[in-house]
Amino acid sequence: MIDNTRRSRKHGARAAVISIFVFLLIWQAATTFTSLGILMPSPLISLSAFFKSFIVPIGPYPIFIHIYWSLVRVVPFYIVGAIAGIILGITMGWYKPVAAIFRPIFEILRPIPPIAWIPIAIVWFGIGEGSKWFLIFLAAFMNVTINSFAGARSTDPVLVGCSKMLGASDWQIFTTVVLPGSVPYIFAGLQVALSSSWATIVAAEMIRSSEGVGWIIISSQETNNSVNTLVGVVAIGIVGFILAVIMREVEAVLVKWTKRDI
Amino acid sequence: MDEARHMSKSIIVAQGISKTFTNKRGSTKVIENINLEVRENEFLCLVGPGQCGKTTAVNVLSGLEPASTGTVKINGKTITRPGPDRGFVFQSTALYPWLTVMGNVEYGPKVRGIKKSERREKAQYYINLVGLEGFEHSYPNQLSGGMQQRVGIARAYCNEPVVLFMDQPFGALDAQTRYLMQEEIIRIWETAKRTIVFVTNNIEEAIYLADRIVLLTNTPTQIKKEYKIDFPRPRDYTDPDFLALREEITNEMDKTL
Ligand SMILES: Nc1ncnc2c1ncn2[C@@H]1O[C@H](COP(=O)(O)OP(=O)(O)OP(=O)(O)O)[C@@H](O)[C@H]1O
Ligand SMILES: [Mg+2]
Repeated sequence: MIDNTRRSRKHGARAAVISIFVFLLIWQAATTFTSLGILMPSPLISLSAFFKSFIVPIGPYPIFIHIYWSLVRVVPFYIVGAIAGIILGITMGWYKPVAAIFRPIFEILRPIPPIAWIPIAIVWFGIGEGSKWFLIFLAAFMNVTINSFAGARSTDPVLVGCSKMLGASDWQIFTTVVLPGSVPYIFAGLQVALSSSWATIVAAEMIRSSEGVGWIIISSQETNNSVNTLVGVVAIGIVGFILAVIMREVEAVLVKWTKRDI
Repeated sequence: MDEARHMSKSIIVAQGISKTFTNKRGSTKVIENINLEVRENEFLCLVGPGQCGKTTAVNVLSGLEPASTGTVKINGKTITRPGPDRGFVFQSTALYPWLTVMGNVEYGPKVRGIKKSERREKAQYYINLVGLEGFEHSYPNQLSGGMQQRVGIARAYCNEPVVLFMDQPFGALDAQTRYLMQEEIIRIWETAKRTIVFVTNNIEEAIYLADRIVLLTNTPTQIKKEYKIDFPRPRDYTDPDFLALREEITNEMDKTL
């Protein structure tokens, strides 16, 4: 079994490498042989510009400092949004009166995309960091809430009955059955929310900023520098991918019981 | 025999139990006027055809669900809700998948505030009793079906309840594991005597296990007939008397269908 998972992982990695390679190849061909090349840089140019930007600064900083600033904006408020989302989602999923109060409001706010929040965020928090944090918080909060809610809703009533029979109080049932039972759902939410919060950085840095990967994209658009736009895109893609991998590893360490090994 | 000594007192007294489920499409009466007494340390089997209301009956008797009419007294106390003076082994095992074997077995004492060293010792005793020594740190999904039911039995025992209810605990097991578990449950019961109410739709299993069999009718479920089983243990499935009784109960059950 261990051998099997290792082998399937190896297969997965190989498939990923091939699919990325084919994608880059098509992109390269399209920019070399069609008129797309006039509008858009090829992957060779984009990737070499990306690696060059580690040494040659874009605007004030090299790329890794931009990434650092964006992460400083995203990570803390992703965490705050996730914690708030877990608390609201689980209590809403388990306690009917909480759902009756918050669910309608939540369902109305949920379909609103982050960009639509920008004007409101600016009114509430000004054009400084506050409104950026707010957008990132929202992206995390919405996704985590909805998944945690589904998790608490899916609580097995037989396990609840079992806990009652064993002598657990209502609060103990909440902490020892509802909460752990929701963990797989919460992690699914955390995963989606992390991508979503990270992607929101572009919208967030549209609100006045002078650094960050979102800023690279926005300022390069203003100066018509399509190579730098793609450097920003590549940076967001790669960092997003790394964050997703880290999240998956965290889940694998914390949630051992969902894996079978016989 | 020693029955006189340990079967004197009535532990469960159920009077006029009925259960009606009501939903949008109307109401169904699943149980109709069940009266039942179970004596201390008795091994009672409730036997009935599939979907006849066995789970409903044992849920009401144990207090997992309220009765529509009638009362259930356990040790003289009327029960209205689930509580740790009763143990329940579920048809679906219902183990906590995020807890290890130890975590599952010590769950009852833990939520009741028993201190760690004491509950660990108790849990270890019952883990050993059901034959799971060495698997304390395994998670349920790492265990076979039979082992999972052993955990369920140890968990129910670990609260040291007055009565144990078991709802078709071996229903999902293959025949071989099932025979083994039947021997095991008798061994466990003889080591740690408790009153057991055991639900099954398997007549052979009931005759192998029970001091007394209560045969149920189809829905709405009533008590059809009772059989006292005096065969000495361990019982032999191929004994002529065993087979004759099996024939008799099977015929009786077929009539209810
Ligand atoms: N909550 C409920 N609401 C409505 N009807 C129910 C409910 N629970 C059970 N029933 C009905 O009661 C009848 C008996 O169900 P029950 O599960 O008690 O039977 P059972 O003898 O345990 O079945 P099995 O042999 O499959 O374990 C079924 O027809 C079922 O549809
Ligand atoms: Mg049943």
